[in-house]
Amino acid sequence: MKGRSAPCLYILAAALLPLLLDPRGYWMRVLTITLLFAAMAQAWNIVGGLANQISLGHAAFFGIGAYTSTVLLLKFGISPWLGMFAGGALGGMAALVIAIPTMRLQGHYFALATLAFGEVMRVIANVWTSLTGGPGGLSVPFVPPSFLAYSFKLLRPHAYIALAALIVVTVIFQAIRRGAMGYRLRAIRQNADAAEVIGIDTTRVKLFAAVISGALMAMLGTLYAQVAVFFDPDTVFGIAGISIRVALIAIIGGVGTAAGPILGAFFIIPLEEIMNGLLSSRAAGLSQFVFGVILIAVILWQPRGFITALDSLRARLSRKGAP
Amino acid sequence: MSLLQAIIDGLLVGGVYAVISIGLTLVYGVMGIVNFAQAEFLTIGMFVAWFAWAFLGLDPVIAAPLSFAVAFAIGWVVQGQLVARVLNAPSVAQIFLTVGILIVIENGSLLLFGSQFRSVTTSYQTASLSLGPLFISVPYLIAFAMSLVCGVALWWFMRASWFGRAMRATAQNPAAARLIGIDAELMYRLAFALGVGLTAFGGAVILPYVTVYPGVGGQFVVLMFTVVVLGGLGSVAGAVVGGLAVGVIQSLSALFFPIQLQNLVLFVVFILVLAVRPQGLVGASR
Repeated sequence: MKGRSAPCLYILAAALLPLLLDPRGYWMRVLTITLLFAAMAQAWNIVGGLANQISLGHAAFFGIGAYTSTVLLLKFGISPWLGMFAGGALGGMAALVIAIPTMRLQGHYFALATLAFGEVMRVIANVWTSLTGGPGGLSVPFVPPSFLAYSFKLLRPHAYIALAALIVVTVIFQAIRRGAMGYRLRAIRQNADAAEVIGIDTTRVKLFAAVISGALMAMLGTLYAQVAVFFDPDTVFGIAGISIRVALIAIIGGVGTAAGPILGAFFIIPLEEIMNGLLSSRAAGLSQFVFGVILIAVILWQPRGFITALDSLRARLSRKGAP
Repeated sequence: MSLLQAIIDGLLVGGVYAVISIGLTLVYGVMGIVNFAQAEFLTIGMFVAWFAWAFLGLDPVIAAPLSFAVAFAIGWVVQGQLVARVLNAPSVAQIFLTVGILIVIENGSLLLFGSQFRSVTTSYQTASLSLGPLFISVPYLIAFAMSLVCGVALWWFMRASWFGRAMRATAQNPAAARLIGIDAELMYRLAFALGVGLTAFGGAVILPYVTVYPGVGGQFVVLMFTVVVLGGLGSVAGAVVGGLAVGVIQSLSALFFPIQLQNLVLFVVFILVLAVRPQGLVGASR
């Protein structure tokens, strides 16, 4: 996956996709959500893929972003564009707060600590009724459609904003991965003690990754709130709905690669939507059951994600192609 | 006096937390896998006990060994067919395989049994013994006693039986265990099945005071992890101490905070313990 001008072509193709779909229709919504989840998984990938710390609590930052912009809009009439940056700042701070005590933890322990942190935020959002509306949730108020007010009649602008967000997050991910920070993160991943010995400030590098990832995740929370129009604590701070799903998308696609989260999102989100459409009318739980079965199958078949399957396929093809 | 009452309630409830969490710590101790689906076996245990009560008229306490047996059988298959394949895979694959199992069991029970809440009625449900000014709830006491019996049986099994010793040998050094003729794969299966069986047993004994529905396991996930992390992941004795501690923390925090914040206190304790002593407060012996 190196040395190509292909990304520009992919982006061009992706930009044409929203034009082909019914601008108010069901598939436009699926595309928007897919692009958003791809961006979220890419933000997660900065911590999960580069620093190799499996976070199961990224919903915490996502929910902070959704609530910050919506509360600012509701109480002070501030445009969600500005609210997005306020949410990003708060999300980055929250990431710092949880990263300081947990960054020494590895593997399962880190996953558990972040899982609990996401739950802490969910409980707080449920209890702090005066600010968040409690379990009843919040509705994003209607404002006359305009770009500055982040309000649109159709879904198409949301799809483009989600696409732009995915490109921005992917560029940031690549910049970190290819830059000095990426080398440091990989050094830490391979051997933290050795990295420390050769002079890498492992603490600072991990904190940096955590804050960037948390801030981006929070900003994507704002985008989600604007598309969803209504949300409650259990949705935006959900373990299964956000934290696990985001990590899963990156892992199924191929953790630590730029293409992984995109592949994963375009596999998982439409699959879930199709199954919900086909199965949820039959029996409650059936679509999630099938989803779990597919998840198990994919993990057993390709524990390192689709990207390795694609790479080995490509290697086989090019070997055949060569004389 | 209400403080003493809260501590007694906490200890009684905590005894059950200890047993359901021993399963989790046993699986980790023997094969280094954190089973995120562990709490789902609590749900399975509760459903088995509920059906035994509804159709056979068995008291959940009597049905607890049946819950154990069903979960043991399911665990035997799950370990052999699924978990065994990721024993040497990166921890990402291990985490998400068990997350997948969690999703399948939770939604499978939703498919089979529907989303309604089910509870049992027993003669002793609301009974309590008075001990001077203190009250001891009979269902709590029975669940605690059953957990104690189960814990002692496990302790004896791990200490004295050949299987228990072979399992501990495998946990310490799988290669060496194989050299002296222990079938390590069999020991892994046994550990996993035993672990989820214990959790299901705990599910059955709490049925007189906890309502069962497909998502009930989710309420216990962070709780179980708090217990094992408090005691040190992999340590059975630690899980007992951790279980009692979590029970007391929970019931004391109910005295000082509104009920919605009860779990918040637990989560904060959990994160603090992980941050300060990830090897557990009790020590890191297996």
